[in-house]
Amino acid sequence: MNINKDAERIIVEVVQRLMDRWATTPEAVEEAIFDVIYQERRRLETDPMGTTEQANFYDMIQTQALHASPQQQRELLRLIIERFAREIQGHFNPVVYKVATSLVPTGLNAMLNTLSPIRLVQGMLGDAESLANQARLRGETTLLQKLAKMGTIVLVPTHSSNLDSVLVGFSLYKLGLPPFSYGAGLNLFANKLFGFFMHNLGAYKVDRRKKAELYKDALKTYAGVTMELGYHNLFFPGGTRSRSGAVERKLKKGLLGAAMDAYIHNLTAGKKNPDIFVVPCTINYQLVLEAATLIDDYLKAEGKSRYIIEDDEFSRPKLVLDFVRKLFRLQSKVDIVFGRPMDLFGNPVDESGQSLDRYGRPIDRTRYVLINGRPGFDLQRDREYTNELAEAVVRQYMENTVIKPVNLVSHVVMQRLRRANPQMGLYRLLRTGGRQESFSLKEVYQELQSVMEALMEEASQGKVVLDEAIRGMDPVMVMGEALAHMEVFHTRPALMRRGDRLFHHDRNLLLYYGNRLGMHSIMDGQGNV
Amino acid sequence: MSDRRFDVVVVGAGAFGTTLATILTQAGRRVLLNTRRQEQADEINHKHTNERYSPGFKLPKKLVADTDLHGAIKQTDLVLMVVPSKYFRPVARAVGEVIQGDQVLLHATKGIQIEPFKLMSDILHEETVALKIGVLSGPNLSREIMAGKPAGAVIASRFDEVIKRSQALFEGSLLRTYEARDVIGVEVGGSFKNIIALAAGAADGMELGDNLKSLLLTRGLTEMMRFGTALGAKPLTFMGLAGIGDLMATCASRLSRNNQVGYRMARGESLEEIQASTNHVAEGVTTVKAVLNRSLELGLDLHVVKGVYKGLYEGYTAREAMQWMMSGKPGKEIDIDVRGCL
Repeated sequence: MNINKDAERIIVEVVQRLMDRWATTPEAVEEAIFDVIYQERRRLETDPMGTTEQANFYDMIQTQALHASPQQQRELLRLIIERFAREIQGHFNPVVYKVATSLVPTGLNAMLNTLSPIRLVQGMLGDAESLANQARLRGETTLLQKLAKMGTIVLVPTHSSNLDSVLVGFSLYKLGLPPFSYGAGLNLFANKLFGFFMHNLGAYKVDRRKKAELYKDALKTYAGVTMELGYHNLFFPGGTRSRSGAVERKLKKGLLGAAMDAYIHNLTAGKKNPDIFVVPCTINYQLVLEAATLIDDYLKAEGKSRYIIEDDEFSRPKLVLDFVRKLFRLQSKVDIVFGRPMDLFGNPVDESGQSLDRYGRPIDRTRYVLINGRPGFDLQRDREYTNELAEAVVRQYMENTVIKPVNLVSHVVMQRLRRANPQMGLYRLLRTGGRQESFSLKEVYQELQSVMEALMEEASQGKVVLDEAIRGMDPVMVMGEALAHMEVFHTRPALMRRGDRLFHHDRNLLLYYGNRLGMHSIMDGQGNV
Repeated sequence: MSDRRFDVVVVGAGAFGTTLATILTQAGRRVLLNTRRQEQADEINHKHTNERYSPGFKLPKKLVADTDLHGAIKQTDLVLMVVPSKYFRPVARAVGEVIQGDQVLLHATKGIQIEPFKLMSDILHEETVALKIGVLSGPNLSREIMAGKPAGAVIASRFDEVIKRSQALFEGSLLRTYEARDVIGVEVGGSFKNIIALAAGAADGMELGDNLKSLLLTRGLTEMMRFGTALGAKPLTFMGLAGIGDLMATCASRLSRNNQVGYRMARGESLEEIQASTNHVAEGVTTVKAVLNRSLELGLDLHVVKGVYKGLYEGYTAREAMQWMMSGKPGKEIDIDVRGCL
């Protein structure tokens, strides 16, 4: 792949496809232009990242569009689209990309030292590396490595923290894989360390403040075109960090749909390596840096929660460092579980790139997209395929979720709280803590024991993964580990032990961490085991 | 790429499979009827009859029957499975050995797998790689259609293509087909009504009159809706052909197998005696188990379902079962959340 050439080719392709879709009639062109002007001006009124240059650009477009012929309006639309495409692409640096892809992963520092801008943030380096070393890679890593050579990988992880993309980035690097193209929010680029990696290691820019449909389509198209050109892609199909702490069950399907389009494009173009493989991935922390902000946001009345949060823990570098160091001191591992790679129809794929049915019989996946014997697009059909794929991704999320002591203990204490206060609404319970400020540790141990047994049963059926500490089946150990974590980071420990009693201080956090179990069947019915 | 010699392969040469194959052949489609038994295939090919399942009817000469399932599926774009629920999974598995992603897989089976609870479309998902799956259901008494009388059915699928291709298949046939998206609703409707038909047949057998029968049907319908919506169906689906439409035909007609079973039980025959005397499968007899188990898991109290279950499996006579159904405190008449269904 020639990256330099591709960067320009991506722009050309994106512009052409958007023009094909949006400039169908003179009326459509005009509507698209004025919608963008309206949406962008609204954004510029409040956006701190907005510039006069941007405002001038839209003033210019408006002045010209009002008097333009249909042909001239088409050109103005093309100008807007190209601007969007270039904004999304950012300053792609092929040199860095090449260095990163060609290096044998001997150590992070080896790579980083070859990159001069990193010296700017050298102070943070050790911590970044220690965070990376905390990551424990599990699951189908070998299969992923093999398939990455045969087709385009679309990696779709669960999302709980802004640290996710960094961890996944390092993990891919450890696996000897090239950087993945990844759409990162503009706020992440603002952070020096992360911004540096994102910029140069395949990230493109997503400006969530831009609301124009055309812009959203440009993002999707950009991702699709990179997939077609064989760049592995990474995106979080949950769309945003999980607010409740639960693993995502509803996915945004736009980018998964872009993968389907890319695949069909590849087939119709008769490409040699047309295949796109989807790899679900779960990222499992004991503690989540932004937990307090996220659950707080979740608990705000529905509809009022914020899609973009920019003033959270992540925006305070000192806090991030503190967090990473504490995790390191606790030897707290972050489990990154790579799921079974699938084709775009939800079928598993083996190491030769062959799709299989549930009995291991080979399938000709190209036949799903045939129309009268030739590969072709069918909007409605492809949307349904994408729905099926999303369901398959969610199933793997559930199966590959690693339950950790903090999750388990939080769940058990929340359940006790609810049972002890049957008449109390959730919000009041969270605020007041109900009638008992503490529970007998012995009783909590007993309950932990029975929940662990139920979880062991689920784990033996492959429905969930349990952390080592839980597999030991010793409630005292599990509690010890959970408390050790909760006591170190969050300003107010969610739980504390005093003598033979367990005190709950921050129910919001208990709810957040406990929700990670919420999707498993032990919670069905009354929420009891 | 396979050679597509047939417009449709109908899998299962029971009464309804034979009926569908017949009307499609009459409408000019190239139909291959797949059956397990060679002598049945020979009878259809040479004598143009299927005496065991469609006694007294002549089948079209152009209708071809065969026992080679794999060979058959390779020769079509559309497979239509009409197999009793009891054999549905093994047959689906066999279909799954050859069917590919471009082919449409439609079924017309009105039943549910008991343990674990599975709708037929779930089984097709599990046993095959086909995604373009759909269901055909409605008031379709085989003998009436075989006698040349027109009828209507609904075809439900998440895929436009499945609906379009299936509708094109039935165009010009005795079956008018309507389109729907709610696969779960259509499958639940077609299966659940067999339970109600058992109760309605029993009421007839005891000569309890039309008022009571109407009561059973109506209460049964609300139970069908409560059950279906709990599984994710849309309530309005049950107002359609697969719900009330099928219910009316099945419960009114002595041609319905389930209605017959209820009727004969009320007249003093045992379930075993009835089953031993017929080639046909009364799906309601097993569906009631599946529905009862699942309704308990869902926390639903389905009175008609429980009454039928008692009559079939708990040693209640038909009269005792009916008395049980009439006992207990009546609740709200309509107890379904219809928000979002309009």
